[in-house]
Order: sequence, then structure tokens, then C-alpha cells
Amino acid sequence: MLARVASRSLAASARLRLPLARTIVTKKYTKEHELIAYDSDTRTGTMSISDYAQKSLGQVAFVELPSVGADVAQEENIGTVESTKAASDIYAPISGKVVAINEELSSNPGLINKDPEGAGWLVKIEAGSSVEKELDALLTEEEYTAHCESEDAH
Amino acid sequence: MAMLSHARCLRASSPIIRRRISTAADPSTRQIFVSKSTSPHFNLSIEDWLLKTAPRDQPALFLYRNAPSVIIGRNQNPWKEVNLAAMQALGFQLVRRRSGGGTVFHDLGNTNFSIHLPRASFDRARTGRVIEHAVRNIMGVYDARTNARNDLCVGDMKVSGSAYKIAGTRAYHHGTMLIATRLDSLGDALRNDKIKMLTKGVASVRSPVCNLRQWKPDASHEQFVQAAVESFRQEFDVEREPAFIDEGDFQDVQQVRQSIDELQTWECVYGQTPEFTHSLAQDFSWGAVTVDIHSKHGVILDASSDACPDLASKLVGRRYGTLDGLDVAALSTQEREVYDWLLRAM
Repeated sequence: MLARVASRSLAASARLRLPLARTIVTKKYTKEHELIAYDSDTRTGTMSISDYAQKSLGQVAFVELPSVGADVAQEENIGTVESTKAASDIYAPISGKVVAINEELSSNPGLINKDPEGAGWLVKIEAGSSVEKELDALLTEEEYTAHCESEDAH
Repeated sequence: MAMLSHARCLRASSPIIRRRISTAADPSTRQIFVSKSTSPHFNLSIEDWLLKTAPRDQPALFLYRNAPSVIIGRNQNPWKEVNLAAMQALGFQLVRRRSGGGTVFHDLGNTNFSIHLPRASFDRARTGRVIEHAVRNIMGVYDARTNARNDLCVGDMKVSGSAYKIAGTRAYHHGTMLIATRLDSLGDALRNDKIKMLTKGVASVRSPVCNLRQWKPDASHEQFVQAAVESFRQEFDVEREPAFIDEGDFQDVQQVRQSIDELQTWECVYGQTPEFTHSLAQDFSWGAVTVDIHSKHGVILDASSDACPDLASKLVGRRYGTLDGLDVAALSTQEREVYDWLLRAM
């Protein structure tokens, strides 16, 4: 019994150690409900809207994204997510160059509702030189959760 | 500053520079604005200015009327939603707004309201109640009710349609109020039968509508403005007097001037159109022609036609609808016939 537990935890830590040794992904949030999963190894961040935002918007009908190659600045309005309830502006969480957009969303915008932080990602941004400072200014997961709770309390 | 290959007319990234502003147009001392202008470009620009500059913790109200115009939603296809030929013949303007939702017709018989709140406390049921209270309890249209879509109806007919916009820390609920609109013009401008046009983006939901005058013969713009102001002040405990504004008050506000210009550009009205395909077919005396067009951001990406392959290749890269810059003189007689038909049929 003990041996089984030990081997399982060993396997788990091996699984964990491998990606951690390769790269560090930092997940940060904006107060406007975007999030960025930043990979320090590739210096690229994947931007999404949060699950909280997806829930409050309701069924997404259309997503307007910037073009690949566009230079974006942190906090710049780079598109909209339109749901049956509202058109909501989205803002770049970090500065840099758009290197990919999620083409799937053009025919299947509902992916944002199904899997906002996974298959429903919006754009990938190759970070500029001030990315560390920009990420510092964003919210951690705990801070963001507290921010959402304070909005709900209104 | 971003370099975007397509229209960025509806995005605001430019710094807001405020110089001398007339006191009527100062969002830090006023919360209620009533426009004296009937320019849709001015009024939509004021709405956006209010969204971006009003104090983040205060509610704000804006009321305005537009000269005859068709206002499409941010992510809509004007060629699918609107009868452009009928609209142009009637002298109506086509404008793309920043909020989501469907196409609406505006004229001086329709008054628009726009209620701005902090995003965190935004509640569409509450803003809907402000308008319902104005029409029902203050104007005395006792049968007026808000439906499940948060639109105001009398019986099963809509007198008001709503759309919503969220930007940063603020959000607004805006909508139309049909008081004495020319409903026949509305029908002509919004009738469209392009069943072979398949478009991404947002489609309008057609609803039966009626005017408040049908229920209250003396209903007027002034009456609704007064009722909406009173209802807003009650609900949000606002004591400040309304500011009556027009273009003169905003001559020095660069954000407003820039927005007025941008809303009138091709990039904004047509260049913001989501991707679509259109299959057009016509019989000519010399044979049948089919042209298949694929367009995004108002520009033709691909075109094919078995009967006229050369003409089809000349369509690529041109603006859908007008085909600007195509060398008409170089076309054969048959191609010229097809070209003339395409301009009418697109």
C-alpha cells in the first residue's frame, strides 16, 4: 500500500518536473477580465478572456481580433467580443506583436463559452522588451478572484 | 500605436486631449446631456466620449435624435442588412455604431437614450426599469412592459430596442424609442432579400414595431426627454440639471472631432464588415452567368465565374459594392454587361 502511494507520487513529480525544467508559464489577469499565459522560454503570451467574463457575457456571437503582425500596446483596445448581451472591448494585457490569432473562433465563437482559457484562446502575443514590468502590474489569480468577488458584491 | 491592416475606426487608442471645453460639455460637472444636434456622427461620437471620459463611479444619461439614418451594429454586414439603393434614393445616411446588436432605423420621430454606469454595478434590468418607468408612469402609457429581451413593448409590439457596450471600467445600455417614426421608411430601408449571401457576424432579429403615438396621441420628443430625465434622476439620486449640447460645445475636444471624421470613412462603414460569400446569378441574352464572391473587411478576396473568368479575376482586391478602380474601358461588351449588373446586384 505504502509502496503504491510512493510510486504514484514519484511519477507525479516526474511529470511535473519535466515541463517546469523546460519553461515557466506565468498566468496573470487584467481588471477588465483578460488573462495572459506567458511562456518565458518562447517569450510569447496566449491571451484569453476569463471564465468569469465568459459567464457574465453569455453566448458569444462574434469575435473581432487584430491581424497577425499587428503591434499592440498594453491596455490598447485590440478587438471586441460580442455576445447576445453586449459588445465588450478587449485590451492587450502586454505589449508586443500579434503572432497568431485563433482562426477557429471565426466559425465557432462558442468555443469561448465552452473552454475560455483553453480552446477559446484569442491571440498569441510575442512580448516586447518591457514584458516583465508589464506582467508585474497585472493581477495574480488570487488577486483576480478577489477582484471578481468585489464586483459581484455590488 | 498599433498597425492594423484593416479598419480600426471603432477602436479608441488615441490619447484623449482635452483643452478648452465649454462648461456644458464637462462630464465632471454634468451627468445628463441632451443633444440639440441631429447629426448621427456627432451624437454617436458624444456617446463614445461619455463612455471614455465620464467619472468612473457616476451614472450618466444622454438623449439624442438623429436625422434619417440606418444604424448597423458593430459586427454586421450592411449589404445583408440594408437595402442600400432604397436608402440612398431616400437620402438616408448609413452609420456603423460601436455597440453590438442589430440594425435600427432612426429619424426625428425616434428618440435615443443612453444610460452609462460603472461596469461593476451595471444592471440591464435596472436601466430597463428607468425607461419603462419614464414611459409607463411618467408619460402615462400604462400598457408598456419590458419583455424578456429587455426591450420595451406595448402589447406584442416593440416601441424600443436596446444594445449594450462594455469598455474598461464603464458600460452603457442604449436604445431607441419610437415616438412618431415613419415606419414605412423603416420598412423600405431595412428590406433585403439577398438569400445567397452568407455572412459571418451578427444578424438582426426582425420584430414588429409601433410608435408611442399609437397609444398616446400627444407623445413627443420633448415629453420623452423630460420623462427619461426625471426617471433617471429618481433612480440614481441625481440633482444636477441637464446640459443641452451641440457641435459648438465640442469644437476643441479632439476625441470627438476625430471620432466624427472616422465614423464617416469607408473603412468604418464598410471596411469593418465580417467575412461573407455571395453567389450571384443572372441570365443574359447570350447566356447564363454565375459569379461567386468571397469578401472580408469589405474587400473581395476571391471571385470566380465559369462564364467570365477574366472579369472575375479583375474583381479580386477591389471593394465589394463599388469595384473602385476597375478599368471599365478594357472590358468586352459582354463583360461590361456583367459588370453593370454586378454593381446593381451586389
